[in-house]
Amino acid sequence: MAPVEVRDLSKRFGDFAAVKQLSFEIRPGRVTGFLGPNGAGKSTTLRALLGLVRPSSGSATFGGQRYDELERPGTRVGAVLEDASFHPGRSARNHLRVVAATGGHPARRVEEVLAAVDLTAAADRRVKGYSMGMKQRLAIASALLGDPQVLILDEPTNGLDPPGITWLRGLLREQADRGRAVLVSSHVLAEVAQSVDDVVVIADGELRAQGTLDAVLGGADGPATEVRAQDPARLTGALERRGHRVQRRGDVLHVAGATPEQVGEMAIHERVAVLGLAPRVRSLEEAFLTLTGART
Amino acid sequence: MKALLHAELLKLRTTRTFVAVVGTAAALSLILVALGASLDVGKDPHALFTNNSITYIIVLLGAIGMTGEWRHRTITGSVLAAPDRLRLLAAKAISYSVAGVVLSLLVTVATMLVGTLILAGRGEETLGAGGLADVLWRNLAVAALLGPLGVAFGALIRNQIVTVVGLIATAAVLEPAISQVAPDVGRFGPLAGAPGGVLGGVDAGALLAPGLAVVVLIGWAVLVFAAAALRLDRRDLV
Repeated sequence: MAPVEVRDLSKRFGDFAAVKQLSFEIRPGRVTGFLGPNGAGKSTTLRALLGLVRPSSGSATFGGQRYDELERPGTRVGAVLEDASFHPGRSARNHLRVVAATGGHPARRVEEVLAAVDLTAAADRRVKGYSMGMKQRLAIASALLGDPQVLILDEPTNGLDPPGITWLRGLLREQADRGRAVLVSSHVLAEVAQSVDDVVVIADGELRAQGTLDAVLGGADGPATEVRAQDPARLTGALERRGHRVQRRGDVLHVAGATPEQVGEMAIHERVAVLGLAPRVRSLEEAFLTLTGART
Repeated sequence: MKALLHAELLKLRTTRTFVAVVGTAAALSLILVALGASLDVGKDPHALFTNNSITYIIVLLGAIGMTGEWRHRTITGSVLAAPDRLRLLAAKAISYSVAGVVLSLLVTVATMLVGTLILAGRGEETLGAGGLADVLWRNLAVAALLGPLGVAFGALIRNQIVTVVGLIATAAVLEPAISQVAPDVGRFGPLAGAPGGVLGGVDAGALLAPGLAVVVLIGWAVLVFAAAALRLDRRDLV
């Protein structure tokens, strides 16, 4: 049974359908990016998973159990939500002591997670004096208290500086390497592309793609090639006669559905001199924009 | 439930608001008792030791503690840690009941000591052990019930300023006004009428009998708690 399984999940707020028949699952030992533009329904989906909003239909479960059915949920699931907030008058250490007391976690875990997020030195300062990045680290420390099997992070890079983002990537990888299932949402693709194994892409509350990063990066178009030729019109004609879609951008031809080897052989056959030939790798950004229908 | 209760009591102890409000209320109670015992001649010692400020302050602390979960947007984290919302609300209500009893006990005993010493020193009438015990149970009963009532009102209304101002206005203006116009209705009120009946006082004839007043206060606490639990349980936390 998958550690996280979303099945036909729908959520309506009045007339607005925030999530529509969404289904996906994530695997242990993998970092899964949950991607979509702002307003795609990512946070609503995560909150439905965590029992904070009630689904209109469908289910969202951890190993087959709803979040509110889990015994000691803090040991199964750790969550960092986008609007993680703390009582401003309470210190980080006391905040963690409260969470540890609620979840029945041993007191030593408080010191361990403070050290893990590098907040030990500031642990007795009141949270209202913390920077955004420090608050984010505290939220992550809270999620790690129960040493959970599943980690869910909603836009966790918000407020983190570049070293903080690098640290977070390392943490996510380390958790996955220990067999944990990690689900991290983001609308900034560049921030997750380097750290995720799998992706789930949604837009307008609907699933647009799911799979390994490489599979989604490649898209459904098959191979593609960029070629510069001495006689582009002649080569375009030959390629189109063989059923390939060709777009001309300046002096470069973008050929869909053909490998560089196929294009090269065709150029030789047509006796057209080739000035440059390379496989065309679709960027994640491009794939994402295509999948979500977003405009640049 | 034990872990939740522990966590809620820890929440209570680890903010300055609680310490500041309790310290101020306790100091005020002691000063008023000392002044009353020193300056008033022939003052009823029962009324002197009926410790209204600390007893009533717990209703506001309960409301502030609960509405603070929305004000500081910590309710999401609280529900994540304790997904059973009814138990979460119950733990908070019980923690403020416990806090109310402990604080009322400490302050009532302290004021009794100070007041009795001053009265005895002036050769005035003091309360015997039975009289002191009578005052003590009344104070503790009101504090034990007003704490959860504050929590329940807070969970129902959620906005901190509206809740606190509403509670003060109800206790200080609305209920006394109703008692003036319709005393038979006013004495059943949740914040002044019924608590006044439990505490007793000079105008005891106009109040509910203490036993009935306790039952009425329990009824208010259960009613408001049930409404708050229903609302919290159904609400999406977005």
